[in-house]
Amino acid sequence: MLIQVENLVHTYAAGTPLAHMALRGVSLEISPGERVGILGPTGSGKSTLVQHLAGLLEPTAGQVRLDGVAAHERTSEARARRLRVGMAFQYPEDQIFEQTVFQEVAFGPRNLKLDEAEISARTRWALEMVGLDPAEVEHRVPFSLSGGEMRRVALADILSMRPEVLILDEPTAGLDPRGRRELLGRVLEWHETARMTLIVVSHNLDELARVAERAVVLAAGRVVADGPVRQVLSDGEHLRAAGLDVPQPVALLQALREAGWAVRTDRLGPEEAASEIVQAWTLREGDDGLRRDLPGPRESGA
Amino acid sequence: MPPFIETQGLEHAYPLEGGGQVVALRGVDLTIKRGEFVALVGPNGSGKSTLARHLNGLLAPTAGQVWVEGMLTSDAGNLWAVRQRVGMVFQNPDNQLVASTVEEDVAFGPENLGFPPGEIRRRVDEALRTVGLADYRTHPPQMLSGGQKQLVAVAGALATRPACIVFDEPTSMLDPPGRRQILETIQHLNAAERITIVLITQSMEEASAARRVVVMDKGQITMDGSPEEVFGQGERLRAVGLDLPPAVEIAERLRAAGLALPRGLMTVEAVARTLC
Repeated sequence: MLIQVENLVHTYAAGTPLAHMALRGVSLEISPGERVGILGPTGSGKSTLVQHLAGLLEPTAGQVRLDGVAAHERTSEARARRLRVGMAFQYPEDQIFEQTVFQEVAFGPRNLKLDEAEISARTRWALEMVGLDPAEVEHRVPFSLSGGEMRRVALADILSMRPEVLILDEPTAGLDPRGRRELLGRVLEWHETARMTLIVVSHNLDELARVAERAVVLAAGRVVADGPVRQVLSDGEHLRAAGLDVPQPVALLQALREAGWAVRTDRLGPEEAASEIVQAWTLREGDDGLRRDLPGPRESGA
Repeated sequence: MPPFIETQGLEHAYPLEGGGQVVALRGVDLTIKRGEFVALVGPNGSGKSTLARHLNGLLAPTAGQVWVEGMLTSDAGNLWAVRQRVGMVFQNPDNQLVASTVEEDVAFGPENLGFPPGEIRRRVDEALRTVGLADYRTHPPQMLSGGQKQLVAVAGALATRPACIVFDEPTSMLDPPGRRQILETIQHLNAAERITIVLITQSMEEASAARRVVVMDKGQITMDGSPEEVFGQGERLRAVGLDLPPAVEIAERLRAAGLALPRGLMTVEAVARTLC
């Protein structure tokens, strides 16, 4: 599904003393199958923007179109398109309410008035997609699961609707490093196998570097950068102006580059940053350099 | 003098509805000295938050003991004194705000302790100055940013003049500027105000700012040492599902590739200085 956002403006509590303009003219286009990361500090408009993409808000001005149809309209055409967008809010497990895991995940498909066999097939498929064994969990009370498992059940809720566009708002908040890695691995798998468009909102730049191919930076309700994730996340000037930092590996590469090293600075992860440094080191020092002892950390400011 | 905070053989089990129990702590022995800055890390479900809630008597041990300045937390008569010494700041700032202006919110603790108005005023002003929110005294806390709301919660804890503050993932719901604000405030409280800090975090980068890192796994302490010692053991950390701070991981990879980098480099600045 093609998503088009044109001069989108959103004002909360318009016409009251508390009026607040959250989006100030945002334009962007997201093609089917893209993996887009949206970043920006608190209050930059990220959550407002993604709720518009899901047709959950009405624009104050401008518009959002899903395959050409205004996303928020009360027509069957618009509703059909909204159903193809799945959105997970922050801490989606807070919205779990059914008595068993099966009932919870089956809730969406049941609302679609599908027959029981299809409901059950979709529910089991969705549980498998999030890495839970349907036979093991479907009769359990959701609240007896661990936090990480509940997060996965909440995501299965959304997958059971078979969305073409999946929007995840801070999907790994509160998870430990292993939980984060596993979840991101799964999200990439869904993108591969189901050819979903993936839109991920996150503060965590290392995370966006892993899942996104394109990054959009919002600041004060406007798009201040939009491009390939490597380019955007290594652009310290734009990120800092938006109140964000570059990922740590980029900060290191930039410091080395300023000191005259021939390194590229758009290596976002520790692994690729390290190999970039090794390569440049070998060029500088030759093979002998590897064996030369480096000085220890200096006392000042370590 | 007794140790500042000490746990011995601390166990905690949560009863489950319909019988059975979940064991969260399986014998924790931990001593925290006055003035320390301790980071507590571990995977989800390792018992960090349960341990934190024992440090100021919010929970009572299933077995074992916890002492704060020699006072047993399982003795209900000590709770008031224990909680005055050990304050808590939780993850979600919105759940911790109780009043309609910043200063009233911060005054909540000292008011409950029954101080006269002049003393309350002094403590509130001092706490707000310490966290840098003096100019926001009369603002409604709901209108502040996430980081500022969390600073209001910190000021609220400070106003009771605790010797120690336990922070339970205080930055996990904040954006990068908010995180920085809170971490800098924590460092200031420890260095300048000499407040003992226990910081629970999922960010290894934040943990590396502490002077001691305690790693928990499955209800027990599995590692305990300086950041240099703990993060120098990448394999053990990865085995419990944790990561290294990015700078430490890069340095480890550089060493593996043959660069003779010294150990103990915790920040990208330190790695950069060593290479240049």
